[in-house]
Amino acid sequence: MSSTRPPGEKPAVPSFRIRAQQLEKLPPCQAQCPNSGDARGWLGVIAQHEKNRLTLDDAYDKAWEMIAELNPLPATIGRICPHPCEELCTRRDKDGAISINAVERFIGDWGISRSLPLPRAGSASYPESIGAIGSGPASLSFAYQMARRGYDVTMYEKHDLPGGMLRHAIPDYRLPREILDAEIDRVLGLNISVIRNTDVGSSIGLEELRDRHTLIFLGIGAQAAREIGIPGEKGPGVISGIDYLQQRKQQPQSQQGKRVLVIGGGNTAIDAARSARRDGALVTLLYRRSETEMPAASHEVEDARMEGVEFRFLVSPTGVVRDGTKIRQVLVQEMRLAEADEQGRRRPVPIPGRFEKLPADTVIVAVAQAPDWGSIGAMPGTQKWLRTREDGKLDEDIWAGGDDRGPSIASKAIAQGRFAAESAHAELRGQEYPRVSNVMKAVRSGTVKTDFYCEQPRAEGHHRSQAEWLSDPESEIDQTISYEQACQEAARCMSCGLCFDCQQCFMYCNGAGFARIEETRPGNYFALALDACEGCGKCIDVCPSGYLEARDG
Amino acid sequence: MFSYFFLTMAETVGLDVGVDMFEPRRFCHRGPAGCNHCGGIVSESLVQRLATEGIRLPDTVVQRGIESYTLHMDVGDVEIATPLMEKRIAAIYRGNGPRESVPLDTHSFDGYLLELAQQKGARIIHRLVTDVRHEEDLMSVHCADQYCDKYELVVVASGVNSRLLEMLENQSHNFEPPGRTKTFICEFHLGREVIRETFGPSMHVFLLDIPRLKFAAMIPKGDYVTLCLLGHDIDDDLMERFFSSPEVRNRFPGAIIPEHACHCYPRINIRAANPAYGDRLVMIGDSGSTRLLKDGIGAAYRTAKAAAKTAVFHGVGAENFERHYAPLCRKINRDNQVGKFVFSVASLVQKARFARRAVLQMTANEQKQAVRPRRMSGVLWDLFSGSESYTNVFLRTLHPAYIGGLLWNLVVCNLPGSASRNGSTQTGERGHVQH
Repeated sequence: MSSTRPPGEKPAVPSFRIRAQQLEKLPPCQAQCPNSGDARGWLGVIAQHEKNRLTLDDAYDKAWEMIAELNPLPATIGRICPHPCEELCTRRDKDGAISINAVERFIGDWGISRSLPLPRAGSASYPESIGAIGSGPASLSFAYQMARRGYDVTMYEKHDLPGGMLRHAIPDYRLPREILDAEIDRVLGLNISVIRNTDVGSSIGLEELRDRHTLIFLGIGAQAAREIGIPGEKGPGVISGIDYLQQRKQQPQSQQGKRVLVIGGGNTAIDAARSARRDGALVTLLYRRSETEMPAASHEVEDARMEGVEFRFLVSPTGVVRDGTKIRQVLVQEMRLAEADEQGRRRPVPIPGRFEKLPADTVIVAVAQAPDWGSIGAMPGTQKWLRTREDGKLDEDIWAGGDDRGPSIASKAIAQGRFAAESAHAELRGQEYPRVSNVMKAVRSGTVKTDFYCEQPRAEGHHRSQAEWLSDPESEIDQTISYEQACQEAARCMSCGLCFDCQQCFMYCNGAGFARIEETRPGNYFALALDACEGCGKCIDVCPSGYLEARDG
Repeated sequence: MFSYFFLTMAETVGLDVGVDMFEPRRFCHRGPAGCNHCGGIVSESLVQRLATEGIRLPDTVVQRGIESYTLHMDVGDVEIATPLMEKRIAAIYRGNGPRESVPLDTHSFDGYLLELAQQKGARIIHRLVTDVRHEEDLMSVHCADQYCDKYELVVVASGVNSRLLEMLENQSHNFEPPGRTKTFICEFHLGREVIRETFGPSMHVFLLDIPRLKFAAMIPKGDYVTLCLLGHDIDDDLMERFFSSPEVRNRFPGAIIPEHACHCYPRINIRAANPAYGDRLVMIGDSGSTRLLKDGIGAAYRTAKAAAKTAVFHGVGAENFERHYAPLCRKINRDNQVGKFVFSVASLVQKARFARRAVLQMTANEQKQAVRPRRMSGVLWDLFSGSESYTNVFLRTLHPAYIGGLLWNLVVCNLPGSASRNGSTQTGERGHVQH
């Protein structure tokens, strides 16, 4: 108020001022992504390309670069990630979550088709030598982030080809080899050398590697399958899911007409079941809880069902019945669900006296995996899983990431590799450790006005029909969305917590408090002049994305 | 309203036309995001007129029950009863209620009209128009999300709280957008009981001697009271003086101004667009010509209907609008000139305490007695409600009986020792002066 008032005297009039501020917030997709992928950012570059005077091709190139900053394998992750980013997408309850994963896949393929180079982080070159044990997603991510910063990186891989579980355990119909090869080759092109067929521990000692390199990244994954411990489990005809998938990738064998029982409810179990179907087997998947509790991605379960995999829920194997060495049956006990465990999943308990014998020729056990410490030996902080600092630091010169720190999805492994590299680089250069978690204020529920946005159905890539699948079972089931679809899908993004130039604030501000910025980019279209602001707060109310909010005080 | 009238008229003459309505807002939102920023007063006669056009406003839209005006001045208060039943006034919400409110059992007036137009066949496009251009003998409409379409006629009804007219001005050197001034509207949650006891079925009008304040009103609407301040460039200083005045504070329980539930500083049209039409382009309501300070909804109705009639029966060229639409705009504009004069006289009354005493006393006397016509009461009623043209109001002030009555009260109220001057007038019921 401009009128004079003695100091300390309460104003006669309540304040009629709501001062707005432009504040970028953490969108739910990014909050949910283990790698903090800025989906809103790169979707915005695509969706708003005309506003920012970019051709669509240039926008896709730019989106590729943004994704590749954090993830050097977008075409791969775009195929295999269960996309937690889409789970809490604000658009989900309106007309379907944004197909972030599908657009990421398109961008990944776009990068491959245009041979786009991975973005370097400066032009420095550092003398330190970096070693990475394993070449799965965590090690690849770590190696990439170190190499792009100017370090020489050497990877040690026990197999002949790099890629870890991506290469050895994920079937081709989900992740074609040529895609993985293209993405890995591009990473290795950043002056990263791979020493193949080298099992650290047996071929070369860990201590020797520590002497050879300034620091080591441990990314051995979790390739040791766990047994379930039932009578008859050990012997021919029982194989772990991981081993089955690895063997099959090298040399598929016909199982025409054989009865295969797959035990487990995770993605490995589903992959094994679908792969066995492709080999001609009659496959039944046994899971001790109900379908609701299955950790496997629901669309994978649906696909498996469509391909002819039978499901038996609420059964638990209690023994493998053999005739000599040959498997005849698997004895299963019927279960029921009791109260939820500490993870919120309902606990299965046996129903006394309810058993069944299921005929089987082969049993694939895919219940759990753990790191194989066999040859490396005990590591500091090793129990079953590595216990590291949040940024992956395990010891003076050892960092770790990926499934050896606990089983998770490939995106998380990539994130852990990245965090470790960022932290290791900071330590080597005497810089402050970067934050692992995102400190941006999250978009509050309800602040995005979903009804502002026009209805637009979610884009889906072509999903091959059963007939198509039968004619060529190893080809990819899901196809990449088209050039046009990728742009349309990006335009569905509500840009939660960031300006996308809807112009509502600009058009409706009576005080002309918003001025258009010359050099625009997503999130940066208008400057707010508080001296022109009248404090009505209308801009906050009309801002559909929740970018504008009331300033405290 | 244009879409509704246009489609109705087109149907009667068998014209096959489509109407797209661009409106980014959803009137189901509470607060300014779903509001058209006005006090929300319509005369009962307009409600009836709309009903004859087929626009029957349901009770959830019209908050009936305002049967009187209470005039507050520093020299006293007086309640003015509705002169005739058809001159009652109704209150509406332009949006879906105040920002800080729970969902009300009300329906937005604008939302209702939008639905009505939709039922008539109009297509609602929830996009923000940022530009309108002549292109290849058609009009192209451009939206913020880069959507674009072409039309044979564009009707601008964006009002003056949007920059669209400014964009049009930038494109056409011949177009002058409407003149605007800043006002203030806010909502207080007081609850039905308090409102019934404190405000009654009355709209409270304040004629206070505060520089630049032309008019202030408090309109009860359900659990809320809407406050409107009209004047020249309402600012903090004016608002502080207004809220500090005892006439205002005493309207609230405990004479304490409560926290508000919503507020905004909307602009109103104080000078018509020039011209309010062009080839395939016409501005209606506040975007074109509207009544000065009052009856914006009534003016929107009249201009929308005239524009629709022109487009359906005569054509969409500039010459068609000049011949069939412009006369109405000119009529409104001429009346506004008279209105300006009437309001300047009212401003003199606001500034002169002796004049305020006379107006108050003359009104109070009219309200106490069953005599008709109640000349001062009628003038004030029509001035506050916008029920009559300013020309009619002005002409009524020229009546010898009105002038005589005013002069008589000027003398009587200002004589040394008079009750009005000493502030010892009766208090209480309608027609009584409360000091």
